[in-house]
Amino acid sequence: MGGTNPAVKGSRSAPTGAVHFAHQSEAEFAKILDFYGIRWEYEPRAFPLRWDDEGRATESFNPDFYLPDLDLYIELTTLKQSLVTKKNRKLRRLRELYPGVHVKIFYGRDFRQLLLKYGRESAAAL
Amino acid sequence: MRSDIREILLDREQIAVRVRELAAEISRDYAGRNPLFVSVLKGAVYFLTDLSRAVEMPLEIDFMAITRYGSARAQSGVVRLIKDLDVEITGRDVLLVEDIIDTGLTAGYLIRLLQARSPSTLRICTLLDRPYRRILETLEIGYRGFEIPDRFVVGYGLDYREQYRHLPFIGVLKDEVLREAASAADA
Repeated sequence: MGGTNPAVKGSRSAPTGAVHFAHQSEAEFAKILDFYGIRWEYEPRAFPLRWDDEGRATESFNPDFYLPDLDLYIELTTLKQSLVTKKNRKLRRLRELYPGVHVKIFYGRDFRQLLLKYGRESAAAL
Repeated sequence: MRSDIREILLDREQIAVRVRELAAEISRDYAGRNPLFVSVLKGAVYFLTDLSRAVEMPLEIDFMAITRYGSARAQSGVVRLIKDLDVEITGRDVLLVEDIIDTGLTAGYLIRLLQARSPSTLRICTLLDRPYRRILETLEIGYRGFEIPDRFVVGYGLDYREQYRHLPFIGVLKDEVLREAASAADA
């Protein structure tokens, strides 16, 4: 299977409260986007990264958010370093396979500092 | 207060020199046009004050204030104006003067708001540009003082919990100050 046709997992443009987020940091990020009037979709697409001999995807990358007006995917990661390394590898692979797709990754420290800037210390401690 | 600062990123003299350079550039670009400098309370006040005094041409200044995400006044869940401009900007040359552009979300909101009022021109002048976390990557910055690394900076108008704005330099806040605040909020 080629690597230029990401599967559509399901767009879930909806009020923040109607979406079930995998992590509290994602819910907080959605609130920030809502605050500034930025439209978003939560995990709308899975990008296959590797396939088996029969063409079935064996590895994929599901960015947390898609911002349609900016044509930008955003991945938040608050994971420990070993898992961040794995995620970075997947991100590099995604950029190789889908060069037209814009993805930005927010690491845990980035996101915590963003929340601190907004005075959201309790959320930053999550 | 200064003991909370890990290092001085930009000292008073560096800021002053760069502000004068920006002012000279703006004076050339806007000569004879009586631009309106618009600033957002409170972070950009120090920068606007120094910049406008270094510009050698007639100009006007005005201020806006908006709710900040996470603040007590932002409970509605969407950004809103607390103070609007006092003057009409239709047909004017408007320069939005910012202290820092980080994600670009605040500046993007302000640009949309001001653009809807049909100014003749609308550009951004920011003292600090921290592009590392930029979400609005299409945001055009007309004048940029300094590009800074991904550090938590305070001083020269920039605050943390409303403190440090009055420092005459831009410094990096110590991690332990942030950690203590986070721990206190979590307790």
